[in-house]
Amino acid sequence: MPDTAPKPRVLLTKSFIDSHDRAIATIALALRDAAMEVVLIDYEQPEDVVTVALQEDVDIIGLSFMSGGQVETTQKIVAELQRRDVPDLPVVVGGVIRPFDVAPLEEVGVKEIFRGGAPLADVVATFDRLARAYRSRV
Amino acid sequence: MTATRAGPDAASLLTAVRGRDSLAIARAITAIENRSALGTELAVAVRGRANSCRSLGVTGPPGAGKSSLINALLPELLPRYRRVAILTVDPSSPISGGAVLGDRVRMAAHSANPDVFIRSLAARGHLGGVTRTTRSVMDLLAAAEMDLVIVETVGTGQSEVEVAELTDVKIVVSAPGLGDEMQAIKAGVLEIADLLVVNKADLPDAARTTAHLKAMLHHSGPDDRRSVLSVSTLSQDGLKALGDAVEAKFAGLLSEPPNPAVGRAISRSMLARDVADAAAALVSGSDDSRIAAILEDMTAGKLSRREGAAAALELLADLDAL
Repeated sequence: MPDTAPKPRVLLTKSFIDSHDRAIATIALALRDAAMEVVLIDYEQPEDVVTVALQEDVDIIGLSFMSGGQVETTQKIVAELQRRDVPDLPVVVGGVIRPFDVAPLEEVGVKEIFRGGAPLADVVATFDRLARAYRSRV
Repeated sequence: MTATRAGPDAASLLTAVRGRDSLAIARAITAIENRSALGTELAVAVRGRANSCRSLGVTGPPGAGKSSLINALLPELLPRYRRVAILTVDPSSPISGGAVLGDRVRMAAHSANPDVFIRSLAARGHLGGVTRTTRSVMDLLAAAEMDLVIVETVGTGQSEVEVAELTDVKIVVSAPGLGDEMQAIKAGVLEIADLLVVNKADLPDAARTTAHLKAMLHHSGPDDRRSVLSVSTLSQDGLKALGDAVEAKFAGLLSEPPNPAVGRAISRSMLARDVADAAAALVSGSDDSRIAAILEDMTAGKLSRREGAAAALELLADLDAL
């Protein structure tokens, strides 16, 4: 029987200027192996992330940061999600998240923060849970 | 933006699609892809719309530069066809069913353009370079009043030619260094091309690849319906000529009367595939004891595969469910 059960769709993204892509590739492969469909992009403007998320009808957005903009970029993306009428679309962040980033990220409504060394199984389980909850919302 | 909440009915979603609401278009595509009840209703409602919309197929082996070519060609196409949708297909994992959809990484420059709608699709086990529901998704995009729909296939081998049935104009992208003249004369994907593009023309071997492909095209005399163009997305050389060639192909289609024989052949091949899918679904999902008996005999070597299939077809012919 062809499998037609909806698969969680995920957008994983980082700034095009951020050349560190090992982490995002690792997460993409882990999510793929957990039967999710993972769209990858490098954004030029934070707002582009939301345009792509809408076109791709994803169930969750994962932002990867290595060099900077953790709080500012996330705030812009969340604001754009609100402006475009999808305030509930879950956002998680990962990568280099400095201690002083945590409070503002949580305040803006980030659902989860993964720092270096987070167990891959936990990352996958969190994506799956948040994506399915969003997909099945009423 | 009534469609932004979950659970819209088909009629209101379609109204939003016609209003070019990109989230509504995206959600409708998801429903069609998932073949949910809503998706089926939508597919029926827009069936045939793609016939009234220009469509361009882009196929070729992995790494030939299909996505980069589309990205580089868009500035040529957008002034000619105002609203462009791009469907990019990537393979699904045969193990997990998941997928990494990485084509639009190459198209980031167009992310913010409201006249460009890009959607990544996972093949979900469908062979042929596209997805099972690509035709319906194209119908939907036509209903959203796109002027041009581009379908980028999975990186294909030699025989994934289904895109030829779906699109009016076909570009087959090749790149230098992928094979000698032996590869150029084989049957398959090269034969469906209206425009053969040798990408990466900045590489040293490009002229030779172009020559092989030209020799293949013109082996039975000059053929002005098909041409070989060399393009470099790096240096931008050849893009204008390719844009002109695409436009000329579309213009040519308008002056040619549609060939009903081709239409019927395409319908036949789609019907054959859909019947095969339906039969496969029935057999795979069946707990009927007679199917079990056939399986038993096949496993024990009492029935050949051909005999088993014939016996199963006979059973299916009796089923009301089909």
